[in-house]
Amino acid sequence: MKTDFQTVILKLQEFWSQKGCVILQPYDAEVGAGTFHPATTLKALGSKPWRAAYVQPSRRPGDGRYGENPNRLYRHHQYQVILKPSPNDIQDIYLDSLRYIGLDPILHDVRFVEDDWESPTLGAAGLGWEVWAGGQEVTQFTYFQQVGGFPCEPVSVELTYGLERLIMILQGIENVYGLAWNDPKGPSPMTYGDVAQQMEREFSAFSFEHLDASMVFRHFEDAESMCTQLIANKLVLPAYEYCLKASHLFNLLDACGALSVTERANYIGRVRALAHACCTLWMENTCG
Amino acid sequence: MRVVPFGWRILVAEWLFEILSEEIPSRMQGMAQEQLKSLAEAELQVEGLDFDTIRTFVTPRRLTLVVEGLPLHTPERVEEKKGPRVDAPAQAIEGFLKTTGVNREACDILDTPKGQFLSVTIKQPGQLTEQILSKVALSLLEKFRWPKSMRWGSSSITWIRPLRGLLCVFDEKIVHLSYAGLDASNSTQGHRFLAPTPFEVQNFKDYEKKLRDHFVILDWQERRQIIKADVAKVAGELTPLKDESLFDEVTGLVEWPVALKGKVDEHFMNLPLEVITTPMRVHQRYFPLIDEQGKLAPYFGVVANVEAPDQGRTIVIGNERVLRARLADAQFFWKQDQKHPLEHFNVSLKTRLFHQHLGSVFAKVERLVALSTRMAEKAETDSKIVARAAFLSKADLASQMVNEFPEVQGIMGRYYAQNQKENPEVARALEEQYWPKASGEKTPDALPSLILAMADRLDTLVGFFAIGITPTGSKDPFALRRTGLGLIALALNPRFSLSMLEALGWAYDAYPWDELTVPQLKSKEETLSNLWKFLLERFKFSLRDVQGSPYDHVDAVLSVADQNPNLFDLSLRVKALDQLMDVEDGKNLLIAYKRASNILKIEEEKDKCLYGGQVKKELFDLDEENELFKSLSQKLPEIEDFVKKGEFVKAVQDLATLRLVVDQFFDKVVVNTEDKNKRVNRLHLLAYFRKTLYQVADFSKIEG
Repeated sequence: MKTDFQTVILKLQEFWSQKGCVILQPYDAEVGAGTFHPATTLKALGSKPWRAAYVQPSRRPGDGRYGENPNRLYRHHQYQVILKPSPNDIQDIYLDSLRYIGLDPILHDVRFVEDDWESPTLGAAGLGWEVWAGGQEVTQFTYFQQVGGFPCEPVSVELTYGLERLIMILQGIENVYGLAWNDPKGPSPMTYGDVAQQMEREFSAFSFEHLDASMVFRHFEDAESMCTQLIANKLVLPAYEYCLKASHLFNLLDACGALSVTERANYIGRVRALAHACCTLWMENTCG
Repeated sequence: MRVVPFGWRILVAEWLFEILSEEIPSRMQGMAQEQLKSLAEAELQVEGLDFDTIRTFVTPRRLTLVVEGLPLHTPERVEEKKGPRVDAPAQAIEGFLKTTGVNREACDILDTPKGQFLSVTIKQPGQLTEQILSKVALSLLEKFRWPKSMRWGSSSITWIRPLRGLLCVFDEKIVHLSYAGLDASNSTQGHRFLAPTPFEVQNFKDYEKKLRDHFVILDWQERRQIIKADVAKVAGELTPLKDESLFDEVTGLVEWPVALKGKVDEHFMNLPLEVITTPMRVHQRYFPLIDEQGKLAPYFGVVANVEAPDQGRTIVIGNERVLRARLADAQFFWKQDQKHPLEHFNVSLKTRLFHQHLGSVFAKVERLVALSTRMAEKAETDSKIVARAAFLSKADLASQMVNEFPEVQGIMGRYYAQNQKENPEVARALEEQYWPKASGEKTPDALPSLILAMADRLDTLVGFFAIGITPTGSKDPFALRRTGLGLIALALNPRFSLSMLEALGWAYDAYPWDELTVPQLKSKEETLSNLWKFLLERFKFSLRDVQGSPYDHVDAVLSVADQNPNLFDLSLRVKALDQLMDVEDGKNLLIAYKRASNILKIEEEKDKCLYGGQVKKELFDLDEENELFKSLSQKLPEIEDFVKKGEFVKAVQDLATLRLVVDQFFDKVVVNTEDKNKRVNRLHLLAYFRKTLYQVADFSKIEG
């Protein structure tokens, strides 16, 4: 069975497409996790059923290691699935998806280990597990209980596959940069390093050495203010996009060490307030 | 209903109830098993159902209850209801008939000395147990409380994780029950991967056996034993590092334990032991293995939940890979952290808050330097070493290693200090400042460690009490109770004994209160008084429950605690008192004391004064008065001296010698004599006796 990076993604797309998910594209703004995509955050609210799946490149400036650490990345890829309401046989469906991409749960001792999830910036929380394969966490499996401070009724289940980790297991390799991105026997084989290592190097240098914190502080103020204005004009999706921008700018400031502990808590609170305002507006529009 | 040979009907039967769910967190399983048992006991009792035994079981996916010896139905209940008098007003009679639901004709008439009354015999037919159990099962599901619970799908029902099946069988028949969209049946599932097809069961024996056939060991204890035995087996010559709670946790992660052995790359083995074992234990739930000399071996035990077709080869490879990545990180942090001297991390502590109103962690470090220097001077030890240790005490909190693995705080401080050639006592104190790690665990022996450990807790307690944050009820977000118990344990270490009130005062003075903006700062006096009360409460508990002293001895000694607020001395005092009260002399002394204090109490109330004035020898009539006075005059300074030196056993031995003279005094002397002056003098003499005993404890608190 083929286990190159893109084939696994294609298989997951196929699998979840068959389960009735709309297959979306990544959100085209910087986010820290697939959860931040409006297709998850906002769609988890309200009573309408919803099933979606997509790849989300996720930026974690603090995890940048100049392309030198075999396991940590400035930008990794998540495969995100959201199902509302959560189906009764969701664990079985999920395990089938692992089998579908060639991961045998028995061979890899797949386990559901308690791990409740919380996103202070989104005001979101859920209960669930980290799913282990051979002791490695490969998926975060969460039943959303609350988003933006609102209870999720009905409950959505969110599956977040860590694509790099998962596919490293499938390919049996230890350095992410050695991952086969496309068919290694094809006409133009590419590794993960070929595709992404330059980005890792440069963005690590950017966020740790060349980031102009005062400029980013300003950008944060701007994004916050734009978000507030858009909320006043009842434009929820653009407002939410500016909330995402503020969140990413906060991550940048956090990574370069520009925030003290108190300031950090303060900034998290400000992003949470924006997220809450967006979710409130969303609830008014969908339920009102 | 089953029929046994000879046509005897079995009159009792067994109830089996299984709640199948998605994976229950390991740490909650034990409490769930207990709660199910106690809830079931209570519910069956409410329903008036007797039973022989009740047992509960838990695995990661199921909670199971089995009750044996339940009757098939409850007995018919006959109840006699007494009504109004036969000649009562019609209204009263009608009311009675209405509530009991019978006609006037169906009533009996009771002849009593007070007249004739109406009465009704009501027969309540027995109920089928099956029907009652359906109710009981439902209320178990409704009343069960998880520490955290969740909703799922479109339901508003909550459980720890989504419920997926209910098995409810009484006397081998399905009990009707519907909950959370599930209908109870007689079928369940085995192991998630190894035997996923559902199967039916008849009764508990059948259930347990079939689960085993479907790769589930139902009994938690049995799983734990298997894990212990199997880990020992794969370890071969090696043995797992002692860690019982890890065995508990792993038992809650598997239904079908299979132990495997993995290898640690040799080049990680030069990392500190804790750095290697923390990711193993805490993050991966592996069992670190040690050799015969107790040295960490480059292997670990891991417990899988499956029997894999490749004998677990893939699982081992996977787990080794994960550990390698974790240890590679640790190795990186180990190098990075040591690029700068340890004190360099103090810079980042300036932006790390200790508490909003109490300043940064670095500000705490500065206070610790001041406070522990003062304590070192008191202890007459090298204050430079203590001050240095205090200065470096929190540095490792800002290291990358501790950020990644918070469990190694203090331990990294020690390693980094050793590597930069700090004084060994300094390095040691950096780790031991956090001792005792849990109640009952050891306190540091080295003086610098002990002083730093105390200073840290004094500073925390005083700070929070000063700004009005004290533990209330179940709320104790800053773990001040634990901090208090830690301080008490440290204060009981004989290496350094000090006046607790004095030390609390120093800690209060170390805060730059003028520079901090505290909304409602408590005065020093109030802070110390609140905190001292709080500590004494905890100390009482420690003396009674840990030292095992009777509560009246504890009360007797703590009544004099303010005179000498030294916890170590107080604990010795209680022990000495325990010894004294164990011997005949002590018991008699107490009797004499009670007699003296009763007399004093009565006379003091009568005379509206407190005796305790100068005893005048010239007013003595009898030798016994003289003897008592002589003994007391000789013993009191001796006892005071012993108390001052903390030699309480000697002090109480001295007290015991008083017994004879006191007894003789009471034998011969009448206190309330006619002569007013002599009476007062004798009361003064008794008060002198009372005062002497009070040097050790308030004997009036002792029961005897």
